[in-house]
Amino acid sequence: MTVLYINDEEVTVAAGTSILEACRGHGAEVPYFCYHPELSVAANCRMCLVEVEGWNKPAASCCTPVAEGMKVRTQSEELEKDRSMMMEYLLINHPLDCPVCDQGGACKLQDYAVEHGVSHGRYDEMKRAVVDHDLGPFVSTCMTRCIHCTRCVRFAEEIAGTSDMGVLDRGDHMRIDGIVEDCLSSELSGNLSDVCPVGALLDKPSNNVSRPWEVTRHNSTCAQCPQGCDITIESRGDEVIRIKPDRDGVEPWICDRGRYVYDAFRSDERILEPKVRENGELVSSGWDDAMSRAVTLLQGKRVGIVFSPYWSIEGLTSIRLLYDVAFEGSRVAFDLHRRDMRKFSFEEGFSMTTQQIEDAEQVVVLGSDLRQRLPVLMQRLRKRINAGRPVTRIGAMNYRTNSSPTQDALIRPRDWPAVIARAMEQVTELGKLAAGMDEWMSKVKGRHGAGKLLADALISDSCALLVGEEIRAHQDAASLIYGLDLLMRACGHTEEDSDGRNLIPEGMNAQLLSSVFGDVRTSAGELFDAASNGELDALLLIGSDPIGDGLFPAQAKAAIGGVPLVQVGAISGEISQYADVQLPAAAYSEIEGSFVNMEGRVRVAEHPLKSIGSERPLWKVMMRLIESMGVEVPAINMTELRDHVVRFVPELKAVWSEGSAALIMPVRNRRETPLPSGKKQTASLDIVSRYSMYREGAWVRASTLLVEAGSLHALDDVLVHPETFKSAGLSEGEGSIKTASAELTCHIGQREDVAPGVLFVAKRGVAGDLSSESVADLTGGK
Amino acid sequence: MIPSDPKKVTKICFDRIDIPDQLKLSVARENGAYKFLPTVLEKFDADQIIDEVKTSGLRGRGGAGFPTGLKWSFVPRNTGKPTYLLCNADEGEPGTFKDRDIMRFDPHLLIEGMIMAGFALGVHDAYIYIRGEFLHEANVLNEAIAEAYAANLLGDKILGTDYSMHLTVHRGAGAYICGEETALIESIEGKPGRPRFKPPFPAIEGFYRCPTVVNNVETLSTIPAILEHGGAWHAAIGKPNNTGMKIFSVSGHVNRPGNYEVPMGTTMRTLIEEHCGGLQHGTVPKVIIPGGSSTPWILAEHYDVPLTYDDLAKAGSMLGSGAVIVMDETADVVAVTRRLAHFYAHESCGQCTPCREGTGWIERVITRVENGQGCENDLQVLNDASVHMAGRTICALADGAAAPVLSLLKHFPDEVRSRLKEKSS
Amino acid sequence: MSAVENALPQFSEVRLEEIRALIARYPHPRSALLPVLHMAQEDFGYLSMDVQTMVAKTLDLHLMAVREVVTFYTMFREKPCGTYLLEVCTNAGCMLNGADDLVRHLCDSLDIKVGQTTDDGMFTVAEVECAGACAGAPVVQINNAYHEKMDAAHMDAFIADAREKGGEK
Ligand SMILES: Cc1cc2nc3c(=O)[nH]c(=O)nc-3n(C[C@H](O)[C@H](O)[C@H](O)COP(=O)(O)O)c2cc1C
Ligand code: SF4
Ligand code: FES
Repeated sequence: MTVLYINDEEVTVAAGTSILEACRGHGAEVPYFCYHPELSVAANCRMCLVEVEGWNKPAASCCTPVAEGMKVRTQSEELEKDRSMMMEYLLINHPLDCPVCDQGGACKLQDYAVEHGVSHGRYDEMKRAVVDHDLGPFVSTCMTRCIHCTRCVRFAEEIAGTSDMGVLDRGDHMRIDGIVEDCLSSELSGNLSDVCPVGALLDKPSNNVSRPWEVTRHNSTCAQCPQGCDITIESRGDEVIRIKPDRDGVEPWICDRGRYVYDAFRSDERILEPKVRENGELVSSGWDDAMSRAVTLLQGKRVGIVFSPYWSIEGLTSIRLLYDVAFEGSRVAFDLHRRDMRKFSFEEGFSMTTQQIEDAEQVVVLGSDLRQRLPVLMQRLRKRINAGRPVTRIGAMNYRTNSSPTQDALIRPRDWPAVIARAMEQVTELGKLAAGMDEWMSKVKGRHGAGKLLADALISDSCALLVGEEIRAHQDAASLIYGLDLLMRACGHTEEDSDGRNLIPEGMNAQLLSSVFGDVRTSAGELFDAASNGELDALLLIGSDPIGDGLFPAQAKAAIGGVPLVQVGAISGEISQYADVQLPAAAYSEIEGSFVNMEGRVRVAEHPLKSIGSERPLWKVMMRLIESMGVEVPAINMTELRDHVVRFVPELKAVWSEGSAALIMPVRNRRETPLPSGKKQTASLDIVSRYSMYREGAWVRASTLLVEAGSLHALDDVLVHPETFKSAGLSEGEGSIKTASAELTCHIGQREDVAPGVLFVAKRGVAGDLSSESVADLTGGK
Repeated sequence: MIPSDPKKVTKICFDRIDIPDQLKLSVARENGAYKFLPTVLEKFDADQIIDEVKTSGLRGRGGAGFPTGLKWSFVPRNTGKPTYLLCNADEGEPGTFKDRDIMRFDPHLLIEGMIMAGFALGVHDAYIYIRGEFLHEANVLNEAIAEAYAANLLGDKILGTDYSMHLTVHRGAGAYICGEETALIESIEGKPGRPRFKPPFPAIEGFYRCPTVVNNVETLSTIPAILEHGGAWHAAIGKPNNTGMKIFSVSGHVNRPGNYEVPMGTTMRTLIEEHCGGLQHGTVPKVIIPGGSSTPWILAEHYDVPLTYDDLAKAGSMLGSGAVIVMDETADVVAVTRRLAHFYAHESCGQCTPCREGTGWIERVITRVENGQGCENDLQVLNDASVHMAGRTICALADGAAAPVLSLLKHFPDEVRSRLKEKSS
Repeated sequence: MSAVENALPQFSEVRLEEIRALIARYPHPRSALLPVLHMAQEDFGYLSMDVQTMVAKTLDLHLMAVREVVTFYTMFREKPCGTYLLEVCTNAGCMLNGADDLVRHLCDSLDIKVGQTTDDGMFTVAEVECAGACAGAPVVQINNAYHEKMDAAHMDAFIADAREKGGEK
């Protein structure tokens, strides 16, 4: 610790702290532009000057570390002169267009100009003119306003991991430039407009929509992915006009999906009133009519219920209540990526916080495109990688990871047993054992070299294991996860202190779903097959769009076409074509409710936006459905409903009653010991489908902005490694793909970052229906 | 040969400069090159070398005059990281052209100095960062280095000892700022040459964040003589705290412009009148820029200033790189200032607000003044824009940019005023 | 590989060998960027966007990293210039010894402005910063070779000689 004096007050800070941070921490105001707490120090704006006793010139406080006994002064006549000169330097080339600038009212330059500025400029020469850039669909630029603080460049490089932005030229010709290739390849690009202290980089979609002083702000939780970022929803009236990261939230950034999904809030795809199908058309009907139609279709029937995990905990529990009181013999599914329904040794959810993951000695990512799945977590890992700390990645592709993991192996899904077995062998050699491991290993014939990377990481003192969709969606997922559990146990990562097991869930709240639905859940694929085979009479889809999402679009389509369909949700999407009844449920911005993210962190939303139509919170819709079926309603208010929730998740009681901040741990199933099936694949290629943050999720598809971004980031429909292509005897882009259920011919792209032997389905559309299959053959094209 | 009696020394870096053909290793060796190197590698240890250099009083010849031995002693040992030696041969300061002559006429002197410095610092990879325009000099160096490698003076196990050092010539590409040591490091890392703020200092975290020493060509070329004759010998040359010989690059309105190596403490008058054959016009200079364009101007009243770091500081200026630009009575000081203002605006790396905006602003205003379009207010603007840029930036380029403007305003306000559009405002 | 990539200019095999040797001399291949850009400019005349893209690929750098460097350093040219690039130093030392007159003379006799190239593509006149050879003021760099103590007569002779030889350097 270092003791210094700031404006004569004694202050103690950690050694190595900058003077600026010491000042900020102690309420002494120092103006600055280029400093940003999350970015590296550039020290180029020179606005943060302070005086240090005994120094013959002012010091830039952001880049000067404190020293014992240092006497710092943040106010003096001299400093005021310097600051007003700095403003004058900055303003000589800055346009005076505050009244038409979107940043007006939230601009550091404007604020300081008032505080430190000079009344009239003395600059009579020509002002610099700078060309603007196309930075993609989310960022608009007005580069003459740029003050060259380089925050955006540092953000792009350090946080977003793209080197798409840079500084060209020098002297007063120096300019910030963006994108020299196709598009800003970052899923965090929306943060650029927040990072820019002036009006040079602006939020394109909300450009000219509102002035900062017109908006009201609601704190909320983003339900777009399991990260569950803290967000601030800005609205004018009831209209959502912007989503930003919550300044006091855990993460300073949010991803473009969470930010621009607001576009869907006001889209035509919103379900804003109850509708029923009349003469082939969905028409508005009022709640009573719609309810009675729904009851007719569902009551006493064998119903397949498929829901998305994005609802609040209360909403999800109300689905369970509906299932319990009304639908015996029905089936319920929610994870559209899970094929193996046996219990997992560790179910969806993280046992670690993102901070713990960032700090762990080793991090291993198994089978996940983390950059698309969890961009904000990926950003944390990128920080690790940039700091030279290890991250190991094993999986079917490492497409544009925007950072290079220290250890990287491309493997096919069918290699997982051999990878794990190889790791087991390695740790056994080191004398690390767990009961059951021998038996597990004996079931696997081959060994795969990537297992060594896994073992090397696991034998450290703390290891964060991030298990992704390539394993969760595996036919033999339960045994793989059991194998990993055995490995972790063998390496001393015991449950009590350093669990380290993190299974990346399908969505928000999924950490709880194993508790609420663990005993009744079925596979979505099987559920749709059952509907197609006449084992189910009707489908109830609650916010789920199995045609647009997940691994079973073909089965879902077949099923939905064959039985009556009741759709409950906020977004209509493609399945509304098939719905016989549509019931509007409120969006996550419009409800009171609780959300738990992958870490088990609970957020309770309390100040919702008003509904814009006649939609109701999901739990009310569910209760009304129960009531309409003539069954006693299990909960008539939030308090009663939460009592039910607590039956499934007792930890929530303390959260609601005492505001406890304890994290909810994911479910563990220690009694199951599923072993690898040892089944041989007959077809030559494994199919892996890409999760795209610009396409997956009904909300996202309803956002024009995100769809547009998705098309910019698009890949070929189907990708293979050049080797795979060659060994199939193909030369040009065309090829035929043959699976057990279908055969189709399409363009096949080639990339080095797809594992040989993998057929990577990058995009739905032509090849979308392939995703339900797990193996295929590639045959000659033209 | 350099005499071992300090009183008899007339040259150090330029000792062999007039010997024809000594770019060839064999000729250079005949004339003493690498003679003492085996002794250094076999008999000296690192501490001893650093101590000798400290004793010698040698101060960096690149401009800042920082004691070389002290700089070397800052380099941490046993960090587990490699230590690098970078020779600063960027020579961009207007008026400076001394390093070029060492490199093109006696490359082996520099190479030997670098081997010795590298040995003292535990360096195995050293680089000469030479300004891009010096293509000929780079070629000369490369040929000399190739010969040195062939003679096992460079490379693995130099002269059969355990010490290995590799030396690479790295060309810049036209950016004055890359002479600033941290910009030089950025540049040799393959980036634009934008200076880094300090701390951390290069000695701790420099080239690829490893301990790094940056020294000027002339500094490094002085090392062989110091080690051969001893630190005390060097300290006996020149003046206390300003020891040794110094090369002055004299240009402008003198009859014999050129490089002159003289003992520290020689007076300006002696340099100009005896060595350079006096002025082109008149008898006393109107302005002398004593240490490169970035140093404040001195006038005739300081014509007898002894050329030392301390005496020039007392005269309100700096010894800098020893580039003496002399202007006689015919000089248009406003035009010269405008030209230098253009230089700094052109060469500012652009990162610091005051330097990026200030240098351009100053250039535009002084150009207007030169063209008779200025007004009284402009004097205040020029002053403020210069004062608040100097000392408030990451590197000292802004200080250099302020120096000519402030000198002009200080010494020639009337000449400036006589150029204004309206004489009063 | 797309058609665009195929069309990129390429270094010769000899050059690539040279580049590999160069990279080995540095702790990180990125350090080879400036020297490789010098080579590219020598081989291709100037650094077009295609050449920059090719250099980026050769050194496995992001194109922006190359762009930053190319635009920062004045010796790198993004546009072609004349067969003879006449760079006159006009900084203090040369200015005090008639550099401005020399520039004016060159521009007048070649009938171009500073920064321009003659119609026949033979000569480009540029002003540069201190060449570090002030004892030889005024200094003119012609295609990177220093010519010291230049005056109008010397330059005229040089130009006449060059014209006589035609486009050959
Ligand atoms: C703008 C600027 C330009 C500089 N240019 C040079 C240069 O061309 N050559 C040089 O040796 N030092 C130059 N320096 C000084 C270097 O930063 C550094 O102090 C020097 O190379 C250290 O070597 P020395 O201790 O041997 O003098 C420059 C400094 C500044 C601020
Ligand atoms: S003072 Fe000028 S040249 Fe030096 S770092 Fe700052 S902007 Fe760059
Ligand atoms: S905040 Fe310190 S220089 Fe910008």
